[in-house]
Amino acid sequence: MLQIKILGTGCPNCKKLEQETKKAVTSLAIEAEFEKVTDYQKIMEYDVLSTPGLVINEKVVSSGKIPSQGEITSFLTSALENS
Amino acid sequence: MAAILEYVSHLFFSGVGNLAAYLAAHVLLCLLPAFYIAGAMTALIPKETVTRYLGRNTPKYISYPAAAAAGFLLAVCSCTVIPLFAGIHKKGAGLGPAITFLFVAPAVNILALSYTGAVIGMDLAIARLVLSIAFGIGIGIIMALIFRKEDAEHDKKTDLMFAGQATMRKVAVIFLLILVALLVVGTFQIEVLKTAYFEINLALPGVNQFQENLFRLIPFDPSRGEEGVTAQGAVLIGLLILIGLTAWRGIEKIHDGFNTWTWISTALVGLTLIFAALSVNPYPGGVALAFTGKFFGVLLSVILLGWMIPTQLTENETRDFLWETWRFIKQIFPLLIVGVFAVGVIRVLIKPEWIQAVAGQNTILGNFAGVIFGVFMYFPTLVEVPIAQMFLSLGMHRGPLLAYLISDPELSLQSILITASIIGKLKAWVYVAWVSLFSTVAGLLYGAWVNGTSLGLVTLYLAIFLGLLALLVWLIERNNDKTSPVEA
Repeated sequence: MLQIKILGTGCPNCKKLEQETKKAVTSLAIEAEFEKVTDYQKIMEYDVLSTPGLVINEKVVSSGKIPSQGEITSFLTSALENS
Repeated sequence: MAAILEYVSHLFFSGVGNLAAYLAAHVLLCLLPAFYIAGAMTALIPKETVTRYLGRNTPKYISYPAAAAAGFLLAVCSCTVIPLFAGIHKKGAGLGPAITFLFVAPAVNILALSYTGAVIGMDLAIARLVLSIAFGIGIGIIMALIFRKEDAEHDKKTDLMFAGQATMRKVAVIFLLILVALLVVGTFQIEVLKTAYFEINLALPGVNQFQENLFRLIPFDPSRGEEGVTAQGAVLIGLLILIGLTAWRGIEKIHDGFNTWTWISTALVGLTLIFAALSVNPYPGGVALAFTGKFFGVLLSVILLGWMIPTQLTENETRDFLWETWRFIKQIFPLLIVGVFAVGVIRVLIKPEWIQAVAGQNTILGNFAGVIFGVFMYFPTLVEVPIAQMFLSLGMHRGPLLAYLISDPELSLQSILITASIIGKLKAWVYVAWVSLFSTVAGLLYGAWVNGTSLGLVTLYLAIFLGLLALLVWLIERNNDKTSPVEA
């Protein structure tokens, strides 16, 4: 079970990132729990300088851009292997 | 009743006319490339190339200019500004550079600058750039001095986050430079670009007829600074709508992969820019097409870009670039259209005498009035520019106009609240006071230059003003060293 957090104050890119990540999760057929972090005091607790940020199991894997499907898939699989 | 209806329809057509003239005349050769540059900057410049100079251990003479550069290069949308501001403040170089960044980002991003340049004039755009950077650094240093103690107590986390070493690919740099070249040849009004190298006459009598009809349909009054829609303008508006429609099909779902629409819309943008650079002059019985330096410059840049996108950029880069550009357009353009329409309506309602009485001269009061208007009115990104042009055509002096243009994007209730929640209420209001003062001074200095004071003298005034402020702050600080500053 992966814990996925989307960091972002609600700008269009954050929504896009969420969609893309959900798509990758569905195509990998893995279980994941999604949480949106919109309060930037909380966002700042992670090491991100710009949103949207993608956090898997409390680890920041991407920030400041929307990664491609391939990249998201590899983030997810490597997180699965490590857990 | 009939009179009221007629008046309302007059207002409505004034709005439509303003909108159409704007789309046709100003948008294409400046805003379209500017949106693409903004998109390319967001997609292709890794943030680490600038933020690594913002760490806690970076010397001040590097971190302040770097913060100003970050404002210019990295921040086109508030999505980026807020976390970056909070990050620089809390984990990076501290309050000073964070404030510099906050000041510079909204005022001098590429969109605001090129739009100001095309609509109002390059001199004002350059004044906006130079004074915003100078005063942004000035306010940053002053804030850091005033709140020195609290800043030192700030969390002493490592600046690992700022130590990234990413560099930009050379190809990406070249790509950005060509985009900038496209913007420059499209908007700068210099002789080489304005000269026509050859002309073609086409016997198309319909074109002139069409333009006459357009002028009749959307009446305009050149003496009030209004512009009509030309035949070329009408074609360009049509092309813009086509771009919008194809982009909706091709770029909205770009994360699922490129499709035919993606390429059609991108090619359309290129074609539109080339057509816009052509100068089309209808006359009774035909139309003259003049090929100017601007046309060849735009043509060359568009061909180079068209070659680079499929062959030199990676698929990820192209996708991010197109997506970010589209996102900016979607976010900013609709608000701009509404704003320009509203400006067209309002212009009819304001009497030039009012504006001239308050800010017709470069006085302290006039400049302050510009600032106050900027602080209390909130306009979406870029809408401040058509509003400024309206004031200009109604007789506002260029000094107060600059004061307004600097203060309006800087300060709005929204930005004050966000700032307050990150750095505290007291600091936020102190910041507001400084911005008001600095914007007024910026307007006064620029206004003096417009009135004929030499550049050297203006620079001297600026240096004296900054020097006096620094001295004052330093003296106050030295006296108050024992009493700790009030916490918000």
